[in-house]
Amino acid sequence: MSSGKRITLQQAAEIVKNGSSLTFSGFTIWRRPFALVYELIRQRRKGLHLIEVNGGPQTEFLVGAGCVDIWESCWVGHELYGKYGANLSRKVGNKEILVEDYSHAEMLFRFSAAASGAPYAVTQTSLGTDIHNPAYDTLGNAGLRDGRRIPLHKYRFTEDPFFGAGAQVMVPAAKVDVAILCVQQVGEEGTVRVNGQFYSDPEVARAADVTIVMAEEIVPEEYLRRDSDLNTITSFEVDHILEVPFGAHPTGMFGRYDVDGAFLKDFYGRTRTQEGFDDFAKEWIHGLDHLGYLEKLGWPKMLNLKANTALKYSTGVKRGQ
Amino acid sequence: MNKEFAKPEEYGLADLLCCAASREVQDNEIVFAGTGLPMVAIMLAQKTHAPNLKLIFEAGTLDGRPPEIPTSVGDARCEMGASRSSGLHDAFSIAQRGYVDLGFLGGAEVDQYGNVNTTCIGDYLSPELRLTGSGGNPDINSFAKRTVFIMVHEKRRFTEQVSYITSPGWRVRNWPGGETVHRRELYGAAYRGGPSAVISTLGVFRFDEESGRIYLDTCHAGNTPEQIRDMCQFDLDISRVSGETLPPTREELHYIHEVLDPEQIFIPKVKPV
Repeated sequence: MSSGKRITLQQAAEIVKNGSSLTFSGFTIWRRPFALVYELIRQRRKGLHLIEVNGGPQTEFLVGAGCVDIWESCWVGHELYGKYGANLSRKVGNKEILVEDYSHAEMLFRFSAAASGAPYAVTQTSLGTDIHNPAYDTLGNAGLRDGRRIPLHKYRFTEDPFFGAGAQVMVPAAKVDVAILCVQQVGEEGTVRVNGQFYSDPEVARAADVTIVMAEEIVPEEYLRRDSDLNTITSFEVDHILEVPFGAHPTGMFGRYDVDGAFLKDFYGRTRTQEGFDDFAKEWIHGLDHLGYLEKLGWPKMLNLKANTALKYSTGVKRGQ
Repeated sequence: MNKEFAKPEEYGLADLLCCAASREVQDNEIVFAGTGLPMVAIMLAQKTHAPNLKLIFEAGTLDGRPPEIPTSVGDARCEMGASRSSGLHDAFSIAQRGYVDLGFLGGAEVDQYGNVNTTCIGDYLSPELRLTGSGGNPDINSFAKRTVFIMVHEKRRFTEQVSYITSPGWRVRNWPGGETVHRRELYGAAYRGGPSAVISTLGVFRFDEESGRIYLDTCHAGNTPEQIRDMCQFDLDISRVSGETLPPTREELHYIHEVLDPEQIFIPKVKPV
């Protein structure tokens, strides 16, 4: 049975409006929905509010392209291939972007709260740090806390009322308009099977109002339902699906292909300035579609990144010095 | 295996840091691993004195035994041999539940109370340089019984007071007022400990749990306590120095270079003269 959930990359990008809040699957440099990130940049989306459990190259591309007004998260960089987010850093320095800092666990618990329909989560993390410095409430300072999509407070303190365990911090549910996931397999009706670590994908898929799943392959739904215990996300939690092979490049996809470290290093090195970013975008994003991009990368590169099917990672990539 | 100490020309600074970090791990502990040198250090401990340690990767691999060193905690190499491949909710819940004995972390700046900054240099509202942000640094530091920081030692990085507390040390801020208090007063029933060591490129530092102040424990070969004190912006306590940091053994060097990181991803080999 086909559910009519299939859309194209262009249609998927059009679901994300100027000013939408947006989140992604993956973890740092793994399983980021790059084909769609590139398409958002081609369509020159503006005013995005990124709410991410953790950032990564996708943040850096969207921020560098001027698509993002607000970034709410805890970390951005390229791991081994670029030690910090140079585009975000530049825009923070120029006051061209608002950054709201939480800790990693706080961001995760915020998505868990949203995914379970709770208004907030309660935790003991990061007490005593400047994350809870009231002067550093960026969205509050900017007068953006409307209590609708943006919570009335960055956080609140409370005391454990049940067991007397002391100070706790309450962090608001992460309410987002759209989640874009990038996974190995999705069924025609939307059932998702993630191989390897699923990071925070189940939480972000459930938290968002609209969930788009970009997969390496769309497979028959009955194939996934034969072993439903191996599946990660429920069919009806997914609104739209699309098949985009190698769609996570330059980030990696467990069991399919490795991170393209050389590509990320090149991006990090070349995009310290806005001119550098614009030049990189001209070369790798504008004027190309996904197939054009893959063609430009070329077969030798993609074969080198391709994972060994027994080991689940590439044995061809040179990793060290 | 040869447990003799290696000669100075047989190892580099990264080897020394890796071995010092590895020796912080005790057998049977549950250890939270970050990317980079700490990952090599933990796997070195697993190969030598702590064969029963349990490894958690922040991205969601639980009780990992990777056959090859992962380049990041999201790496496909984390999964093979693990008890479970899961997600962040498991990793952080397990940490908040109190399972984690030890975490390895890094930082751009550390102060005399073990507070660490990875967020920005200068005023937060108008920073000179925006850095990566917290990542899981404050979370591991809040939840684990002990944390060990590995840092490049520069005077500007060893400050009296970090410009932004990303990760909580022994004396932290009591918000909303912001007065400085011992972390025990803030964390209540969740108090389990705090930073236990800083391993810098000059020496190994520890903390007095009561005063929360840092002191010098050992100097890496070639550094005197006075020289190291001069490399801190605060008045470093050098009255408790126990000696020189022990060099790597030949066995440890064998594991680092032949087994764990033969590709020299994190630890370069010292070229024979």
